[in-house]
Amino acid sequence: MALSDLLLQQTINGLSLGAMYALLALGFTLVYGILELINFSHFNVFMVGSFIGLWTLQLMGINGQAVVMTGLPLIGVMMTALVVTMVLSGGLGVLIERLSLRPLRDVKGPAPMITTIGVSYVLFNIVLLTVGADSKNYPNPLPPVQFAIGDAVLRLREILIWVIAVLLMLGLHLFVQRSRMGKAMRATAQDPEAARMMGVEVDRVIVIAFFLGSALAGAGGLIFGLYYNFTSFIIGFNAGLRAFTAAVLGGIGNVPGAMLGGVIIGLIEAMGAQFIASAWTDVIIFSILVLVLVFRPAGLLGRVAPNKS
Amino acid sequence: MDADAAATSIWAKPFARIPLARRQQILTLLVAAAAIAFPLVHDNDADIDSAANAAAYATLALGLNIVVGFAGLLDLGYAAFFAIGAYAYGILTSFQVMPHWGPFWEPFAWLELVQRMPQPGGDVVHFTVSFWIMLPVSALIAAGFGVLFGAPTLRLRGDYLAIVTLGFGEIVPIVVRNVDSVTNGAAGLNGIQAPMIYGHSFGVNAWPYYYVAIALVALLIFVSVRLRDSRIGRAWMAIREDETAAAAMGVDRTRTKLLAFATGAAFAGATGTFYVAKLQTATPEMFGFPVSVMILVMVVFGGMGSVWGVVVGAVSLQLLQSWFLEDISGWIHALGRAVHMPWMEQIDLTQSIELIFGLILVFMMLYRRDGLIPATRKQSALTYEQQHADVRRGGFSVLTGLGEVAGRAHAGLEVKGVTVRFGGLVALNAIDLTVPAGGVLAVIGPNGSGKSTLFNAITGLTPADGGAIRFDGKDILGLPPHQILRRGIARTFQNIRLFTNLSVLDNILIGQHARLKTGPIAAVFRPPFTRREEAAAREWATEIMTLFGNRLLPRATQTVSHLSYANRRRVEIARALGSRPKLLLLDEPTAGMNPAETLELAEQIKSLHALGLTILLIEHKLDVVTRLADTVVVLDHGEKIAEGTPDAVRNNEAVLQAYLGRGTLAEGLVHA
Repeated sequence: MALSDLLLQQTINGLSLGAMYALLALGFTLVYGILELINFSHFNVFMVGSFIGLWTLQLMGINGQAVVMTGLPLIGVMMTALVVTMVLSGGLGVLIERLSLRPLRDVKGPAPMITTIGVSYVLFNIVLLTVGADSKNYPNPLPPVQFAIGDAVLRLREILIWVIAVLLMLGLHLFVQRSRMGKAMRATAQDPEAARMMGVEVDRVIVIAFFLGSALAGAGGLIFGLYYNFTSFIIGFNAGLRAFTAAVLGGIGNVPGAMLGGVIIGLIEAMGAQFIASAWTDVIIFSILVLVLVFRPAGLLGRVAPNKS
Repeated sequence: MDADAAATSIWAKPFARIPLARRQQILTLLVAAAAIAFPLVHDNDADIDSAANAAAYATLALGLNIVVGFAGLLDLGYAAFFAIGAYAYGILTSFQVMPHWGPFWEPFAWLELVQRMPQPGGDVVHFTVSFWIMLPVSALIAAGFGVLFGAPTLRLRGDYLAIVTLGFGEIVPIVVRNVDSVTNGAAGLNGIQAPMIYGHSFGVNAWPYYYVAIALVALLIFVSVRLRDSRIGRAWMAIREDETAAAAMGVDRTRTKLLAFATGAAFAGATGTFYVAKLQTATPEMFGFPVSVMILVMVVFGGMGSVWGVVVGAVSLQLLQSWFLEDISGWIHALGRAVHMPWMEQIDLTQSIELIFGLILVFMMLYRRDGLIPATRKQSALTYEQQHADVRRGGFSVLTGLGEVAGRAHAGLEVKGVTVRFGGLVALNAIDLTVPAGGVLAVIGPNGSGKSTLFNAITGLTPADGGAIRFDGKDILGLPPHQILRRGIARTFQNIRLFTNLSVLDNILIGQHARLKTGPIAAVFRPPFTRREEAAAREWATEIMTLFGNRLLPRATQTVSHLSYANRRRVEIARALGSRPKLLLLDEPTAGMNPAETLELAEQIKSLHALGLTILLIEHKLDVVTRLADTVVVLDHGEKIAEGTPDAVRNNEAVLQAYLGRGTLAEGLVHA
């Protein structure tokens, strides 16, 4: 393959990965923007979301890659899977907030973060103990349509992933910028105390943030399955760390930043796997994380936030 | 809580006559005796082996406790240091790395660190470094990596630090996996040498490892306790409680955090060496994220910051895993058979240890954040009688130490053209002011006029965008806060920033941090010099407390969070005095005090001034200002609008406008 085709192919791969990381990064950013909390449970909400997508597709009679659909049935099935996955993942996020984080709302120090680590661990092990350690073949009803551009290949699944991701991000952006709740959210992120005094129901804002973030993570989980054709209890950790890096890179708390960061991390992963070695991918990504945090903690698009303490 | 207290009193009643310290000593001896006797009375190799593992995890928990519990730095990649210690020993005692033999290796062979091995293609070097040498060396290597990882990242906020350490915790096993030539990659190191003692190998017996492990635990408990109760431990806890205040009190944040990180890493490094010497094999999987989380669970379960707590947490969870889970599963199966519930017979708890760990984390955080054995015991408040006994208000005895330092001639504080901008907002615009040695200058002005920003600029907490600040003739602008304190400038904060979970005494001792010299090694060995220094520090703290009559003295061991608002303000002043300042910056010291308390504090400030202390004061209460200050500077919107004696300023037109408004209506009111 010529170098230009390689680059093109890896750009296609990287954009797909990036779309997934961006969706996941948005969840980190939404919660961090409001609570200043790194939500480790998000890692495995993503993983659970990918299983919810798997079970939803199986319930609709799609197993493995054997069933191929086209036209309206395909769109219907994918829409259903996406909506069910997002609603149930969002519900899981709300449940986590309600049970384990709301009681710690006013506790200072690392307690809430440690709690989210615990929750993440619980989700991880529940799935491990109930579903098993082997990876599961992911149902995929997409017809094997693909377009050749030189030696590079663009498959239908990649186009689908991009469409889903762009629509969701556009929707989130409009929600945050235009809606009443979005405005309340931005106000709470600026100053929860002042927002509360202005009549914003901060608890509700937090619930919505968890719902949206977790729903997007669920969508990301579904995309993971469609892209890699498998899912497993173990996928949350690496994807979660990469997405967190994406959020930090773009500027944590910053919604467009998370999208940008996600795409950049996706491209780095794809190019790194092609031109360096996939065994070093994580080292490269963590090095970026450390460098960004040390030299530009506000990220690419973030402002240097005044210290709230 | 009452029920709690009652329960303890029943238990404690027969022992109440024995002093607490003595009771703790007896308990320690009993635990030690039981630990030593265990292999003798329970001759089961598998159980002794589990106990040795439990002890190894206890040392890891002790190390993480220094980082998380003492210094409050959440480290999620702690297992990386465990891996580094393990591989350091593994590589230097196995057959993995074998360079060609050359004269370079002769001296090492003579020291018995390497052996010459004949090989068909030319002789090679076999590393055979002794376990007993590697134990401290691994600790040092791991500490070195601690500094290396910590240096760029410890400036980060706590939550970012957590994720970066998580990253390092992942990178180390990946690197180990990828550099096969040194580490044998994913397959792991094999044939690691067992420890030898007088020519006898430990071999495969469990008991020698067990005794090494409990000796290590004992040593690290000792080191932890000594560090905790020293200048170093206090600095760690100050950082944990309030980093900014710690810096303002003379604690070098970066160095103190690095020291915690390195100490914790050293504990893990030594444990790593022990652990692979015992297993004689090392694979990258032994040091992944689950291990870091497990150690964190042990620390959280036992009690963050509690030395005995984390040991109990580690040992109990490790033994739960290796001894009890199988038994408990068996009991559930039996119960299932008895009540004909087949699903109960399917439960295998040994598989769900990580689930249990996750649940422990969540439930401990929700319901018992201090852990099984909290680091600080609950204290009862002073009784009514104690509070009202021997009422001395505004009492003040001569602070000899302070008079000596504060009275020493210096050139005062000089602020010249200092400007501070926050984005587009000019918080201070070319401010000039001078506080002569021995003077009292008050800064007044409406809220938001830049008074506290001025204090932050002088003490190095906010960088200035221009101008110069000189103290005693030397430039201090741009110095970090802890060095400014060292020069003799101490401060209080408008919104009280005490080390809330520490005692009054500890707060004042932290104030003395910059004036004490004890380092980590002296803290552990406690040479006579350190003992004298510590005793003198406590004496000085007591002397400061007497300045406030019986307000603080009877509460010396009380946690600051239990104090009244006015007493917290007093503790903050006492803490600042601890550093033996020449210049004291007081930011609204009487805020929230009633008229009587205000008057009392004003008298106390006056007596400090009489000792020779130079004072810069922000105050809203004009009677206090008039009573104390020689000169008043008025700020408004970041500009200096007036300066003069209190009386002159009181009648200044611009000042009245600033306070009462610029409109004609307000002017009318003033003249009316």
